[in-house]
Amino acid sequence: MKQMAELDYLGLPPFKRRLHDIGRFFVSLPGRLLDLLKKIPLGLKKVLFGIGGFFANIGRIFKEGDLKTRVSFVIMGFGQFFRRQIGRGIIFLLMEAVFIYYMAGFGLHYLADMTTLGTEAVTKTVNKYGLEVVAYKDNSLKILLYGVLTIFIIVGFIWTWVINIKQNALAQKLIAEGIKPKSFKHDIKSLGDEQYYKTLLSVPLLGIVIFTVIPIFFMILIAFTNYDYSHLPPEKLFGWVEFENFRTMLATDISGSSKFAFTFREILIWTMIWALVATFSNYFLGMFIAICINKKGIKFKKVFRTVLVMTIAVPQFVSLLLVSKMFADEGIVNSLLQKLSVITEKIGFLSTPELAKIMVLVINLWVGIPYLMLITTGVLMNIPADLYESAKIDGASGIKQFTKITLPYMLFVTGPYLLTSFTANINNFNVIYLLTGGAPKTMAYEGGAGQTDLLITWLYTLTMQNNDYKMAAVIGILVFLVVAVISLIVYNLSPSMKNEEDFQ
Amino acid sequence: MSANADTKKKFRSKSRKERTTRILIYIFLTLLCLIWLIPFFYLVFQAFRGESRSMVTYVFPKEWSLENFRILFKETNFLNWYFNTLIVALFNAVLQTVIVLSVAYALSRMRFKGRKLLMNLMLILGMFPGFLSMIATYFILKLIGLTSENAIPGLILVYAASSGMGYYIAKGFFDTIPKSLDEAARIDGATRSRVFFRIIMPMSKPIIIYTIMMAFIAPWGDFMYASLITFGHEEAYNVAVGLYKWLDKEHINSYFTVFCAGGLFVSVPVTALFMALQRYYVEGVTGGAVKG
Amino acid sequence: MAEVSLTNVKKQYDNGFVAVHDFNLEIKNEEFIVLVGPSGCGKSTTLRMIAGLEDITDGEIAIDGTVVNDMEPKDRDIAMVFQNYALYPHMSVYENIAFGLRLRKVPNKEIHQKVLEAAEILGITELLGRKPKQLSGGQRQRVAIGRAIVRIPKVFLMDEPLSNLDAKLRNQMRAEIILLRQKIRTTFVYVTHDQTEAMTLGDRIVIMKDGYVMQVGTPQELFNHPANLFVAGFIGTPQMNFFDAVLKKSGEGYKAAVGDYEVNVPKYICDELDKLEQVPENVQLGVRPENLIIDPLGEKGIRASIKVTEMMGSELHIHAEYWDGKPIILKVQIADLTDEEQNRLISKESVAFTFRERTINLFRNDDGRNLAVPGAVPVPKTEKFVPEEKSKKNKKDNKKK
Repeated sequence: MKQMAELDYLGLPPFKRRLHDIGRFFVSLPGRLLDLLKKIPLGLKKVLFGIGGFFANIGRIFKEGDLKTRVSFVIMGFGQFFRRQIGRGIIFLLMEAVFIYYMAGFGLHYLADMTTLGTEAVTKTVNKYGLEVVAYKDNSLKILLYGVLTIFIIVGFIWTWVINIKQNALAQKLIAEGIKPKSFKHDIKSLGDEQYYKTLLSVPLLGIVIFTVIPIFFMILIAFTNYDYSHLPPEKLFGWVEFENFRTMLATDISGSSKFAFTFREILIWTMIWALVATFSNYFLGMFIAICINKKGIKFKKVFRTVLVMTIAVPQFVSLLLVSKMFADEGIVNSLLQKLSVITEKIGFLSTPELAKIMVLVINLWVGIPYLMLITTGVLMNIPADLYESAKIDGASGIKQFTKITLPYMLFVTGPYLLTSFTANINNFNVIYLLTGGAPKTMAYEGGAGQTDLLITWLYTLTMQNNDYKMAAVIGILVFLVVAVISLIVYNLSPSMKNEEDFQ
Repeated sequence: MSANADTKKKFRSKSRKERTTRILIYIFLTLLCLIWLIPFFYLVFQAFRGESRSMVTYVFPKEWSLENFRILFKETNFLNWYFNTLIVALFNAVLQTVIVLSVAYALSRMRFKGRKLLMNLMLILGMFPGFLSMIATYFILKLIGLTSENAIPGLILVYAASSGMGYYIAKGFFDTIPKSLDEAARIDGATRSRVFFRIIMPMSKPIIIYTIMMAFIAPWGDFMYASLITFGHEEAYNVAVGLYKWLDKEHINSYFTVFCAGGLFVSVPVTALFMALQRYYVEGVTGGAVKG
Repeated sequence: MAEVSLTNVKKQYDNGFVAVHDFNLEIKNEEFIVLVGPSGCGKSTTLRMIAGLEDITDGEIAIDGTVVNDMEPKDRDIAMVFQNYALYPHMSVYENIAFGLRLRKVPNKEIHQKVLEAAEILGITELLGRKPKQLSGGQRQRVAIGRAIVRIPKVFLMDEPLSNLDAKLRNQMRAEIILLRQKIRTTFVYVTHDQTEAMTLGDRIVIMKDGYVMQVGTPQELFNHPANLFVAGFIGTPQMNFFDAVLKKSGEGYKAAVGDYEVNVPKYICDELDKLEQVPENVQLGVRPENLIIDPLGEKGIRASIKVTEMMGSELHIHAEYWDGKPIILKVQIADLTDEEQNRLISKESVAFTFRERTINLFRNDDGRNLAVPGAVPVPKTEKFVPEEKSKKNKKDNKKK
């Protein structure tokens, strides 16, 4: 569609302009998605060129390097020693020594075992009393874990090796130009100044690598094995199965559709509905309540706010578990309703599938509204008062003010927040697990899943109760993909992420 | 004359209309507050109920007593769990605050190669469901012997280790401090580390308190991580995991009111702390727009 | 107390934008240099490079003969006053001023003495116990200056220090900076976008545009002999008037004709013109408003229709329009006119004027250089900057078309 001239567009009546906007949005959608897809090969190309350039650079350093530099390719820290950077030299040499010691004594062995994840779980021998002795031999889990660790250590070592070489090249260049390379003392000092970020980030990043990156990497690998209750180390081995688990999880053709695939589909749909409804119902009701509280002339603002905020403070396992008991079949709500003769039969608030789904959404309002109320209050207070004043002078009614000023402003400012809260809701473990634990359970579902289970709670059940690690890992990866794709699309398409300045 | 009376009437009707909406809003908000408070009243009534330790069909206790608390402290592991959680919370408050502020400062105030990349990587890592990494984390902890009976240091380590990714709010705060302050201090002769400690930190009281508060409160409510790491070792449970068990089918009839007593005992100090520091929480969440 | 030299200094940002191209300047000891130009001309970037707050992409900056390219700001012995003052909000005024000395481990007694001394100079002694947020804008400004002078730095840098003040305070502070400068003999580098500040404060002025230096010179040089059209238009209010003129050889010298009206080109310009291989025929002729002489009879010289007259008190500004629509501003001293003449001018519809011949400047039509200033820099063509990634994309789009 050809873009309308700006003046023509501005001359349209408002509703036609909206229609035009919407039309243009959908027309441009495929193009923008295509652009997005185009970025991927571009990115890959960049990475490939980066790698190519990297090797070219290393090669050039070797070619142009003097003896000290070249020896440093093999003996790390050598060049530094002979360029009077003894502190650096010792550190590099030490690192190389530790690395070689580790690889020779430990790492290589596990790395080799990674290909099979072990061949013999237990060995049985007969001892001198004629009794059979069982000894554990290969433990697939340990092999995989140590293997992953070793891979990360190798990556880390290559990284330090590259730094070592680059330092050599730099020092060589500086000396050739007649400048003294920086002393070790200066290095240490700069860690509190120019390089302070290294000091600040090293420990947190190490923590993230060990307790987040390595575990995620490990679990991704688990998704390609058959690690489950029938392959539990140390008694049993598990091994690689390639994409088998993904096929089980995603098989869509009618004949081959597994119960797992069916369960996954159902739970994925419910997870999406849950996330969508939970996010937006909280958002709009929270905003509504914030507007009520902040309305001019309303007193006790602080009291209302404090009461609502208090629910954030009470640990969720107390409040949610209690609420779940209140709405249980034998719970106080049913009892009271029966006493008051409102009902005769007990209502299965959390035990009938459809009602349970509605109930968790409603109770989630109770959890989420205070938080949203606060955030929207913050944004409301940031809307410049003169916007309203000028609107009033222009003759805008209360409703007009809301739709023309409050709402657009709010959506613009909280756009990114909506996205994060949507993804947070996809992974909202606490509310579902503490309220229903996924119940009511159904025979139609595989892997102990229930009607209100989200992917994340199902993942929990699969690991904690079913020991079905391989499928849990697959679900984890799929959840990541869902979240990543949604985030990517929203970030790239939503105008509020780009035109931030409009409202600033 | 009559026109004048007309406008007067108009004004009056307008103010009357406003008053009715105001009354409606008051009613609505009061109702809302009641709904929000009901579970807590229920919790208190159950915690002090003397008769029958199971769920009953009425709200107000027939007999008020402290029996449930006696059972809680004397006959169960509750105090154990409580101190476990307290220790984890205290350590976490210190470690997590140091880590979060360090990361936020580095990413907000310093420019270095790979900064954008680092932020993007952390964003992507955050998209993996936390529990996914927990399974492997469990094995890593087991490897260094920090599960079950040693779960407390293990839990502290896990909470602190991944906390670096939650730097957003603190970074948002630092971003609002004018850069020229850093620059002025650097020209005055301060190193980056001095700028951090002597200029930025003293100005960041609200965000420091916010971070400490969140880091202290989080372990009290954590169920997912704690249940995995303390798996099978009751002594090492935190309050959430411990109390949760009392509500399953086998225990609920003899432990429901004790659960409520425990819940109350956990909630009151945490909530009190939260309310006392509410201002900082509200400022942190709203980016300083609302002064609580 | 130091010389500062900038040699071929260049600043390019990561996204490819070049903020400063090839900047060269020798700042003498105890000189007051003003960097002036419109926003985005690279003046602040240059100052920040001297301070060490921005990396230098290329070239060299030396303070007192030492190259400081890789030196941290704290080691350069400089002080700086920021546009928003950058006072430490959690410290008292006293501590704000003392902070730099404390970091340098100056003995307490000495710090006390120096802080009092600085406060005395700036008249803020009674404010020493207060926090910055209890101060007014002007007071904050003084504290910021106090923080800078207490160390007696080699170079004193000021980044638009007056732009956050209201007009009255600004004039007052400007005078105080001149006084301050007499008390503290050190090298000053001062950045401003306000040409009045530049003219009143600077020993020499560096005028910049789009990252290029347009002219370096004393205020008089810049005012009387602007190196190009940009400098001519930037310095002086109201702006200089420009006319399309034709240069003609006339005996020994030259004449410039604007329409029918001809003026003799001053001798010094003719000398420069003679050095040229080829004298351009069409030029821009620049005359400042105060150098247009009104013919009371309204006959002699160039005619223009009057659009608006502005009574400024001591002078009258006449906004007129040349026949081709070009705006012309004339400035008339009220004292030179009788009441009757004033009234006639205000009510008149057109005006005729001539040039004060010795004050005219001639500029090339093509690149705006002043024909009489040797080594003048052409006016750079402003290009809209497109960050690197996007510019590639645009090229692609262009190819498609």
